[in-house]
Amino acid sequence: MNTKRKAATVAVAGTAAGALGLGLLAMPAGAESAPELPEIEAQELVGSVLKAQPPAMSGTATVDNELGLPSVPGMPALDAQSARVYYDGEGRGRVAMEQQSSELTYVLGEREFWSYDSAAGTATRAELPDGAREQHRNQEAAGADPSQVATQVVDRLEESSNVSVDGTARVAGRAAYELVLTPKPDERTLVREVRVAVDSEERLPLRMSVLTHGTTEPAFEAGFSEIEFGPQPERLFEFSPPEGTEVTEREPGRNGGPQHGGDAEGPEFDVAGDGWDTVLLGRIPSEMREGAESNGTDMTGMLERFGKPVQGEFGSGHVVETRIGTALITEDGRIAAGAVPEQVLRQALENR
Amino acid sequence: MEVMTEPARRTAPVSRLVRAELRWIFRRPRTLAVLGLLGVIPVIMGIALAVADPTGSSSPGEGPGAGEGGGLLATAAGSVLVLPIAALTMTLRMLLPLAAAMAGADALAGETATGTLRGWLLAPVSRGRLLLVKALGVATFTLVAATMIAVTGAVTALVLNGADTLYTLSGTTLSIPDALGRIALAVGWVTLQLWAVGAVALAISAFTEHPMVVLASVLGGIIVFTVLGSLDALSWLHPVLLTEAWWAIVDVLRDPIPDADLIGGALKAACYLVIGLSIAYARLVSKDG
Repeated sequence: MNTKRKAATVAVAGTAAGALGLGLLAMPAGAESAPELPEIEAQELVGSVLKAQPPAMSGTATVDNELGLPSVPGMPALDAQSARVYYDGEGRGRVAMEQQSSELTYVLGEREFWSYDSAAGTATRAELPDGAREQHRNQEAAGADPSQVATQVVDRLEESSNVSVDGTARVAGRAAYELVLTPKPDERTLVREVRVAVDSEERLPLRMSVLTHGTTEPAFEAGFSEIEFGPQPERLFEFSPPEGTEVTEREPGRNGGPQHGGDAEGPEFDVAGDGWDTVLLGRIPSEMREGAESNGTDMTGMLERFGKPVQGEFGSGHVVETRIGTALITEDGRIAAGAVPEQVLRQALENR
Repeated sequence: MEVMTEPARRTAPVSRLVRAELRWIFRRPRTLAVLGLLGVIPVIMGIALAVADPTGSSSPGEGPGAGEGGGLLATAAGSVLVLPIAALTMTLRMLLPLAAAMAGADALAGETATGTLRGWLLAPVSRGRLLLVKALGVATFTLVAATMIAVTGAVTALVLNGADTLYTLSGTTLSIPDALGRIALAVGWVTLQLWAVGAVALAISAFTEHPMVVLASVLGGIIVFTVLGSLDALSWLHPVLLTEAWWAIVDVLRDPIPDADLIGGALKAACYLVIGLSIAYARLVSKDG
């Protein structure tokens, strides 16, 4: 009897301890309560963000989106991506985008920009123009009166949105202010509000979320899941490709950065409207279309799968809708995109 | 019963018992056969990748096989650092857990079946010590299995390509001690994961006298965990699944090593270890000699 009870006790206690441990591990990190911070005006917060020099830090940034786009076979999944970010506080940085069993690395060094793809074993190198970083730094310094710039920025924002500080949040374990931009009621946009969490000490934006009508879960969120401020080892900001790597040289100015989506890429975009109902109008360069086809990406097939065909005064084309934006691509390669409903895109194309 | 056994002779030190257990384990032909087979896998992988053209076939992140380590394999061909880790990653999916389950199954169920466990139960050894000896036996076996793969992997890559290809997925080149340290870290981490599997196997093993039952349930459990892990709708469950932690082993190849997933995986394994061992202990204590 005694041993039976002992056995039962050990079994229950051990299992409970193990299960509790698993439960703790499974608990989402964001379940902490909002920190208490002194009140701050939106204008002052924006000013301090503009003035702040990002300090040396390392962290993990994640992008989450619930855009409602179906996953495209053959394209890297967009819905959850994480990258490790290192910054030395003086303009040099390293970004490592993790994939399950490979990595894309981007290194912005003193004089050159490297990108390295471990799966393909290829690297590209671009020389930075002389003094590019200096210029960048001086520009930051030139905004000598941040309060004035902040006033301008906030004024500009307030033409189309309400800017406010709405409480606090804890992001990656840091106390942060939540800066909220809400489009004015007469703006024709899909976006309900944009929230930016700003670190209360370093004044670095830590997280941005875009919320749409009808849901409480952000449609798009990008931010740090882990961040640590402090000096970073020097070797992280230098890169020499491993032996046997195929290195491509790029001319300065065109870095081989990651290609995000297709909307904002490509040369010569026109802008129609302002504020939240801004619509980007452009034309997909024919070489890009051909390039996509030679890559094995079937543009038309993809559009037919994800878009719905539309017709109007502008001709005919396909509309691709996501929760925060819409794109209209016509048969002859014109493209209109924005964080707006389809109707606004049609008008923008027709009024052109 | 305790009163009778405890004061009698508790002199046999655990180390001697463990040594006896290890001799017992490593004398079994099937143990040696499994270790030998595991050792051959990295050699086959290395040669196959060296013979097949590693370029061309590996467009990044594409194709159905990409999620299963295609990218890792593409880099594996060349590197003393990558081949052992790639071999560990591959075998950790199925073969290594199977070996750990086999060790756990033999330790209690197997010995019950052949009648040798009876000697242990009647001997003046407390049940806690018995379990400790058995658990250490399983741990040693898994350590040897993981080391076997890492060593043959490293040697294969060394023979095929020489030692000057110690680069990480981040494109940095490592010194030899650093690379060896990372391989050792990977081996230790894999051993901990396998020990957790072995502990669960021991728990099942204590309840049955058929080793096949243990093997089948552990294998079934791993398959179920893998299936659950691949269902996006169950993403809330994923942090609890042991198998979901196993991809973190690849982080050893990144520079600097992102330690969050590795530490999380190790803690998760520790939780499974506690659960497995406590259930095994409970069953063993109440088992009649």
